[in-house]
Amino acid sequence: MSKHDMTRRDFLKRSAIAGCGALVASQLDFARGLIARVEAGELTQFEAYELMKAENTLYTVCLNCNTGCGIKVKIMDGVAVKVDGSPYNPFTLHPHLDMKEDLQRAAKVDGGICPKGQAGHQGAYDPYRITKVLKRAGKRGENKWQSVPFDQAIGEIVNGGVLFSNVPGEEKRQVSGLKELYALKDVKVFEEMGKDVAALRKKKTPEEKAKAVAEFKVKHAANLDKLIDPDHPDFGPKNNQFVYWWGRKKGGRSDFSKRFYDVFGTVNTHGHTTVCQGSLYFACKAMSEQYVGDTFKDGQKFYWQADQENSEYILFVGANLFDGNYGPPNRTPRMTQRMVDGKLKVTVLDPRFTKLASKADRWVPVKPGSDAAFAMGMTRWILENKRYNAPYLAAANKAAAAANKDTTWSNGSWLVKIDDHGKPGTFLRAHEIGLKEKESRKDKDAKEFNFEYLVAMKDGKPVAFDPNDDKNAVTGELFVTTELKDKDGKPVKVKSSLQIMLETAQDKTIAQYAEICGIEAAVIEEVAKEFTSYGKKACVDVHRGPAQHTNGFYNISSLMNLNLLLGNFDWKGGMIVASTFNTDGTKSDKQPFNLAKLKPKGGKQFGLSVIRHDAKYEESTLFKGKESYPAKRNWWPLSSDVYEEILPSMADAYPYGAKVVFSYMGAPSYSLPAGQTQIEALMNLENIPLYFASDITIGSTTMYADYIFPDLHYLERWEMQGSHPNMPVKVQPVRQPVIPSPNEVVTVFGEAQPISYETVWLALAEKMGLAGFGKDGFEKGQDLTRPDDFYIRMVANIATDGKEPVPDASDAEVEIFLKSRRHLPKNVFDPERWQAIAGPNWKKVVYLLNRGGRFDTQEASYKGDHVANKWGKQINLYQEKTAKCKDAFTGKSYHGMARYIPIADTLDREPVEQSKGYDLHLITQRDVRMTKSRTISNQYLTESMPENGIIINTIDAKQLGLKSGDQVKVLSSTNPEGAYNLQNGKKKPMIGKVQVTETIRPGVITFTLGHGHWSTGAEDVTVDGKVIKGDKRRSTGIHANAAMWIDPHLKNTCMIDKVGGSVSFYDTKVKLVKV
Amino acid sequence: MHHEDILVTMQKDLERALQKPADKRRWAMLIDLRKCVGCHACTIACISENKLPPAMKYRPVLEFEQGTYPKVSRTFLPKPCMQCDKPPCVDACPVKGEDGATWKETKGIGAGIVPVNYDKCIGCKKCIPACPYDSRTIDNGTFHTEGTPELQKYETVPSFEYGKLWPRTSDVPTQGNARKCHFCIHRLANGMLPQCITTCIGRAGYFGDENDPQSLIAQVKKVNKLQILKANKGTGPRVYYVSNDKLEVLYV
Repeated sequence: MSKHDMTRRDFLKRSAIAGCGALVASQLDFARGLIARVEAGELTQFEAYELMKAENTLYTVCLNCNTGCGIKVKIMDGVAVKVDGSPYNPFTLHPHLDMKEDLQRAAKVDGGICPKGQAGHQGAYDPYRITKVLKRAGKRGENKWQSVPFDQAIGEIVNGGVLFSNVPGEEKRQVSGLKELYALKDVKVFEEMGKDVAALRKKKTPEEKAKAVAEFKVKHAANLDKLIDPDHPDFGPKNNQFVYWWGRKKGGRSDFSKRFYDVFGTVNTHGHTTVCQGSLYFACKAMSEQYVGDTFKDGQKFYWQADQENSEYILFVGANLFDGNYGPPNRTPRMTQRMVDGKLKVTVLDPRFTKLASKADRWVPVKPGSDAAFAMGMTRWILENKRYNAPYLAAANKAAAAANKDTTWSNGSWLVKIDDHGKPGTFLRAHEIGLKEKESRKDKDAKEFNFEYLVAMKDGKPVAFDPNDDKNAVTGELFVTTELKDKDGKPVKVKSSLQIMLETAQDKTIAQYAEICGIEAAVIEEVAKEFTSYGKKACVDVHRGPAQHTNGFYNISSLMNLNLLLGNFDWKGGMIVASTFNTDGTKSDKQPFNLAKLKPKGGKQFGLSVIRHDAKYEESTLFKGKESYPAKRNWWPLSSDVYEEILPSMADAYPYGAKVVFSYMGAPSYSLPAGQTQIEALMNLENIPLYFASDITIGSTTMYADYIFPDLHYLERWEMQGSHPNMPVKVQPVRQPVIPSPNEVVTVFGEAQPISYETVWLALAEKMGLAGFGKDGFEKGQDLTRPDDFYIRMVANIATDGKEPVPDASDAEVEIFLKSRRHLPKNVFDPERWQAIAGPNWKKVVYLLNRGGRFDTQEASYKGDHVANKWGKQINLYQEKTAKCKDAFTGKSYHGMARYIPIADTLDREPVEQSKGYDLHLITQRDVRMTKSRTISNQYLTESMPENGIIINTIDAKQLGLKSGDQVKVLSSTNPEGAYNLQNGKKKPMIGKVQVTETIRPGVITFTLGHGHWSTGAEDVTVDGKVIKGDKRRSTGIHANAAMWIDPHLKNTCMIDKVGGSVSFYDTKVKLVKV
Repeated sequence: MHHEDILVTMQKDLERALQKPADKRRWAMLIDLRKCVGCHACTIACISENKLPPAMKYRPVLEFEQGTYPKVSRTFLPKPCMQCDKPPCVDACPVKGEDGATWKETKGIGAGIVPVNYDKCIGCKKCIPACPYDSRTIDNGTFHTEGTPELQKYETVPSFEYGKLWPRTSDVPTQGNARKCHFCIHRLANGMLPQCITTCIGRAGYFGDENDPQSLIAQVKKVNKLQILKANKGTGPRVYYVSNDKLEVLYV
């Protein structure tokens, strides 16, 4: 391209920079005496280094991946020109600067961030961003758009009608608007119906259920028109036909949308967890379920990671933490020097010789999907060689744990009832053997509940205990197999949890487990021995690798159970949890804005969700008895946010179709295995009649939307990032606007604002007259008409959480605060308005925003041998709640004890047929330079890594006659064509260059995620009749997700982990064809 | 655990060094490859800081794979300009002298580095093949958002190389010039470490005054076996490496 190109000259004219003409004559003058000359006042302001000044530095939070590192964004001429790590944030400096540290000094201290963070501003300045609302002007996916006024789009979505009369085939297509779906409004009716549906679900037989439905219809005759289907009241109200789902969403924005849908009353709000590592979250949720009264509940969707800065040994399983995994900038500097010094030994289990493996002491290249076999082999060796922490496992309750200085305890010694087939069921209750009767207790709200004692064996006798009793310590025998007598004298077979674990582990020999893994048996024994040689300073740290298989839930449970054998939870160097400052004001009275109270009472949502989560099939009106197995699709009593289910379930109308669908920052067609099935679902106009999206570009999924609303880039918006389980420091990083938005400015509730995700919710609320928004939206005198109305309140809550609030900003700091935001327009930054909201906490808000969040000190993060921020509760070795759930396809109970289960489809068939003729095992990986779908717009990254490829071992390459650089197509039995069908007449073939290496297990191939796009600026689109040419850098490379297997029973969704929800990323067999 | 991040330690070292006369200090860089995890953040931080055009990297990270499955190793080698004490690029440059286009600086904040005077460089490209480390590239005057619907302003805002403002305006002042790493002397002058050092997530990079025995770089030098690249060329690099690999075998 010529240097004097017309476009560029025009462009440069617009962006002429002040001060350019004032360059000094010789560059070397500077080099020889800059400091002296600056001090002497000889240099003008522009000659000094602009990027080191506090008034040009703003602190916020990266979102080029979900790690959410603290960043400082350096502004020149109103433009973000450089991004570095924030020294105040423990994710980017270790240890980080105390918050008390002066802003001027901090401006000169840059912390470490990864290449994606460094390139982040290129996402904001992406020339392919959309800035106005786009409405589809052709068929879905045809990529013909017209820009429409914001108010028009909002009006059409709320009112519905014949909206696409200009599109062939849709001339008369009438769609329902949101107004119609806001059918049930009466809070009392919501509650009554919800209660009756809950009761109906508890009916034991289909006949009783049918009777209850009939009674329901009589009782609620006046409101049956508000239900989706009166014959199935358990589907809930029509409100549920508004389905809202999202990809990457953090705190703050979550709360904003929740405020809307809690009033609107839909159960259909679904995240994307299962595309990432759902089975890791939901296995840990199952392990964290607490015994409350007589049952297990309150499990948390979360997980534990290693305190890597103090661990002496870590077994990393499928955890690629120098490339991804929450995340490279925080975890790497806590490990590298310690590994060099020999203070931290690392073993890596992965079919790939990852960057982490390249620094590790041992690499174990197991076969994909065999993780639980390795874990169970280790379990067997540890139990048989008595290398476990016996006092920890013997502690049956909190008091017994405390005697060991432990803050967590397991159910290893609790007794489990065994049925006549030898299958473990529920824990034995003391009253069942006449040992101790049930009690009626009162909770903290004085509400009565039933309490049942549990049982452990001590000195050969059963002992009743309360697991949460912190006074009467009860320990139990570890390995128990015995028969007790119930009240009627009938025998009750019981075993301790640990005994069940031993027997489960002994199902196979270590040699058999090793064979499944494709490794030597001695390796399992050696790793087990190493793992048990460092006391509590050893960890098993897991991530996507073991989770994203059809056996993910049990892989994770097996691996996490190893940590229970050490009892390392909450210990320095052991397994730890994330800890954050509270945002919604519900933590303490000192917080000024209790957002849970500052909102109207909406009807309590009820009914099945379109993904059937938190629900048992057997309790639904669709279940008619044993003949109802296998279910059409899965039911998810233990998991939620099952991403792969959302679109195909709606398309199947199982249990019902949607009417209006809204998506935010998600690209399931790209990111999910067999993503082409998601596109097929989106083409279904009958069951997904209206689909609108919030996105910053025309994305790989949003290109199928009917409307796209432009959103803000992460440098332009608010969010409360939260933390990750490997971070011992209590934090709450705050994402805040640091640059103006290019989006069209619109007026909502009388307030001018650039179109954003929040603006869409606000405008929908305004148009529908939804309570809780607009003037007096929070309460009288407190309006909610702009995003900052919401987030400044949250910042004030963070600032005042805990024993002590953050200090007040000094006057000098207030000045820096204002000056550093001088480039932001009033519709983004309005200090008077903010001050009025924050009131007496204003200077604390300034102090906090000047540092991009609130961060505890490194010193406060540990107390003696423990971490300061503890889990502090029971952890399940045996999962009673899991054992009480049934597989919706086979009708069999799930296993309460973790174990190795082979890869299988939803009907438990091993994929023998699908594999025939396809010999290579396809997995995927991350490279630190790409996130799944949003970093392709960052040219620094695409130039560093112009394309990805198919990574294959030398042996396989030789066999196939391939060499590096050869082009190959990826085919599987469910995609024999080897292409993404985009359903718009185009197909994107899955062709990539071969990269031959020794760093992967033979038989396994992989590709890095992030390349090979068909949207997000990669291909041509037509807007208002003009063609916008795509950027080839974005379409280059291969994205082979469409080769991943489709489940043969579901037929329109990838293979899944039926228990933990994860998608199967690493189970497909493929072949490569040279092209 | 260290009481402070080594980035903070090295910044204190730098502030101390800046108090010394220029001829008493000796800037040096050390890269501990045992801690480099091949993330390329240094490469990109440098591109962003110095507003480098596409295809220009002052500090690429080379990747090496050795061995046969399952006995394999991977090595990542960040490669800035070596700021040679005997720089072949200077010898190759026809515009001679300290007022010329490139030379070994002896005075001021940049003493020890090999700068390029963009006003004097004639773009003859003779220095390019002369460098045994491929550390020099010609600025082709292009932009990262070239060929997209709109060039973006962040690309034209000036960089601060050598303490001057270098906007990439219609007559890109550095177009046709040879460009290279300069240890970020515009940052050093202001008490800030080079960009590649500060953004290193493995904390593999060290920088400072190797004449100061108290400095972290001097201490790390002392306790480790050091290597330099292409020692046989006799260039006298100011960049040292610590590695488990023999770099003379890996990088030839």
